Amino acid sequence: MYAIVDCDNCYVSCERVFRPDLNGKPVVVLSINDGCVVARSNEAKALGIKAGLPYYQLKERFPNGEITVFSSNYELYGDITDRVMSLVRKASPTFYRYSIDEGFCDLSGMEHLDLKRWGEDLSAFIWKATRMPVSIGIAPTKTLAKMASHYAKHYPGFKHCCYIDTDERRQKALEQYDIEEVWGIGRRYAARLQSLGVKTALDFASHPESWVRAMLNNVVAIRTWKELNAIDCIPMEDMSKKKSICTSRSFPGMVTDLTALRTSISNFAARCAEKLRKQQSVAQTVCVFIDTNHFREDLPQYWNMGEERLLTPTNSTQQIVQTATRCMERIFRQGYHYKRAGVIAMGISPDTGIQTNFIDYDAERHEKLKRLDEVLDKVNREYGSETLVLGSQQYTKPEGKGKADVFRNSIKHDFRSPCYTTRWSDIPEAE
Amino acid sequence: MDEKKLIDGADYITLEDAKRLKLPYFEQVAAGFPSPAADYQHESLDMNEKFVHHPEASYFVRVKGESMTGVGILDGDICLADRQEEIADGNIVVAFVNGGLTVKILDTSTKEQGFLRLLPANPAYPPIIIDANDQFILQGKVTSVHRDTRKY
Repeated sequence: MYAIVDCDNCYVSCERVFRPDLNGKPVVVLSINDGCVVARSNEAKALGIKAGLPYYQLKERFPNGEITVFSSNYELYGDITDRVMSLVRKASPTFYRYSIDEGFCDLSGMEHLDLKRWGEDLSAFIWKATRMPVSIGIAPTKTLAKMASHYAKHYPGFKHCCYIDTDERRQKALEQYDIEEVWGIGRRYAARLQSLGVKTALDFASHPESWVRAMLNNVVAIRTWKELNAIDCIPMEDMSKKKSICTSRSFPGMVTDLTALRTSISNFAARCAEKLRKQQSVAQTVCVFIDTNHFREDLPQYWNMGEERLLTPTNSTQQIVQTATRCMERIFRQGYHYKRAGVIAMGISPDTGIQTNFIDYDAERHEKLKRLDEVLDKVNREYGSETLVLGSQQYTKPEGKGKADVFRNSIKHDFRSPCYTTRWSDIPEAE
Repeated sequence: MDEKKLIDGADYITLEDAKRLKLPYFEQVAAGFPSPAADYQHESLDMNEKFVHHPEASYFVRVKGESMTGVGILDGDICLADRQEEIADGNIVVAFVNGGLTVKILDTSTKEQGFLRLLPANPAYPPIIIDANDQFILQGKVTSVHRDTRKY
């Protein structure tokens, strides 16, 4: 049996942890740069606010502050969800975190327990300890568990935990489940299946495997079909091993010059290095991509990717930023309006027992960089991220004078909540 | 379960791992000889282990004002609040009351009469009476108080 634990309206719920007065009220969280709505409370959903609604339209529709709006605060969401996932991990024999707001448990060996009750209790406990509402789905396969969590989330009768334990329950769950919503069925396949008369998960699961092979001939689709028929076939390892770390962003406007793009790439690379150190690993390869705006058909389009394999794997901010900058400079072409860029760290391995390369390995320099990174992480942990940055990470001020702006100030976040649990300057006050 | 693998597997470090506070451990190094103390070497004392009983359920609040001086909680102190600890009559709690956080002593002795009291520990402050009309949400039990005494 597998369980998936999924945070309900994750970002909104994180915002409510230290604002319990907002429970039961409409709340939304905006995307990076305050562009559009990315998360909604149930009350906001009930008002017809759709995900992706641009903020200026939201403001037009609700001009009188009927809705509480937050800029995204990933520092807060990261910390709150780490707490939630840590509790889940302690409650089950094997746990794999799948994304910021969901994780899988392998419940093998726990089948003799009342798993429905286990899930209800875990959900209640997580709520008490962290104030995060979670829905739990339990089923013989991960795809069915994901479906069960959907039922747990939308029907209060389940007490936050839906357990698909019998074939009868499985059939019933499949019958009422839209094919589009099935985990592993992309939008394209859903459209194709619908045109073939497949409306629900049951329609899909009831066809013979040979039909699925003939119609879709896609490994993931066949795997999904098996999983819906209670045949466990997605290995746990597939869920957890992050083989790469990516930091990428869409730019608020469009970027045309090399200097501005270099600054953004430096920041993305620095972030990757930080993530690598946080999980105690190193990367062998650094890869950079840049992309123009596909929606602007009136402008010339360009996309490219450049990568460089390091002789010795690293997690040093300096080395990763330098490498990423070199990659970027190789693929940059003048005359395009860039909308999106990113840095990917690949070939990830633990930072213990690094395979050094005698051609470039300089123990003294390695030690120096390590100490520098330790200081960097310490300062940024204590005084907030990006307090200490490399020179190349600084943005030119809007007025064009001096190089003295950091990434977090160059993006809009007019409604950001305090980082209650990750910065001493932001901890809540009590009288 | 294989903890190390999880960390290598890329995305998981427990709160305890990530936030462990190490105090220095002193050892005299005798060059050439293995230290006779090596066998007795122990992990350094960990403040979190002593004070943070439920890391996932704990958070810090900064105290403002003099209302709790009687129990040694001063203006500017940092309290650790724990949502997982059971709360009983007489405990020092953090509560969300009508839009703001407060640190007080919980008094449930008047429950039968339809209200609760949040007691300050300073005669200059009045108790806060909580009845059905108030927004009142308990936010955890205060489990320790921390102060930087270098200023004294």
